[in-house]
Amino acid sequence: MLKKKFWLQTALIIGLSTLIGLGSHLGLIKRYFAGEFQRSFLSWEEYTSITFITLGEAEDYFLQGGAIFIDSRSQDEFKAGRILGAINIPFKDREKELALKKINFSQDATLVIYCDAHECQSSVNLAKLLHEEGYQVIKVLYGGWLEWVNAGLPTEEGKKIEIEQYDDSQ
Amino acid sequence: MIRNKIIQLGLRLVLGGVFIWTGLMKIMDPLEFAQSIANYRTFPRLLVFLLALILPWIELICGACLILGVFQKTSAVILSGLLVSFLILIIITIFRGIDIDCGCFGTFSRKVDFRLILTDAVLLLLALSILFSKISGKPKLEQS
Repeated sequence: MLKKKFWLQTALIIGLSTLIGLGSHLGLIKRYFAGEFQRSFLSWEEYTSITFITLGEAEDYFLQGGAIFIDSRSQDEFKAGRILGAINIPFKDREKELALKKINFSQDATLVIYCDAHECQSSVNLAKLLHEEGYQVIKVLYGGWLEWVNAGLPTEEGKKIEIEQYDDSQ
Repeated sequence: MIRNKIIQLGLRLVLGGVFIWTGLMKIMDPLEFAQSIANYRTFPRLLVFLLALILPWIELICGACLILGVFQKTSAVILSGLLVSFLILIIITIFRGIDIDCGCFGTFSRKVDFRLILTDAVLLLLALSILFSKISGKPKLEQS
């Protein structure tokens, strides 16, 4: 009897939560199934400067020159191998301020950000931060480092390039 | 087993208050919370999305139930289950070496580390204390 009451109450709480949670976000659900959140949970309406790019597009930016490639992985991963010419901004939520103090790109610079592969999120989180700081052209390489290196595109490794080298303000 | 009514009420107010607050923080920005769950790199995208929409309401409703004194035991069981799940997820994340914010307190979220395990363990202790406390007074649905 007690068990029955427990399960009834559990079903009531979870059912009510599901009903309100889904019912109050029908717009978001519609956008999800329209494909908006397939790569990250960024709102296209809010983060207008961020776009996801394919390997081919990243390669075009690389060959054309001018775009700044930003590696959001850890320093060790960056040191072990990176896109040729990329700079390292290891993104951690706790160290947002530290990263921002050191970066001062032109606001309309084309920034191509990448991390490990599809499932990593640091590139997306760094992109959000840069958008909030007013950067206008932010590209996230969805396939990340893994896709780039598997395609045999130019890479380098070893000595770390300090982000201070790219800081115009110092 | 805790029998003192004042202590029981205090436990319910603290735990209920915490979960109402965390629930509200997440409800206010579901996409931010979804991104926080995605950062764990553990769940498929659709599940992440559904969790982000539903989980905060479970926290909010269970928190409100604890404070209002209805479905207390059931709410304590659900919250204990959630806290155990969070603990497992935090431990797995630490061992995988993923350095992220927990996403558990909205914009006040903390880094996933051993201090977070302690926070969750304390909350779990509160939930279990409510679960195993003896409710006195007028008989309620969940009483034997």
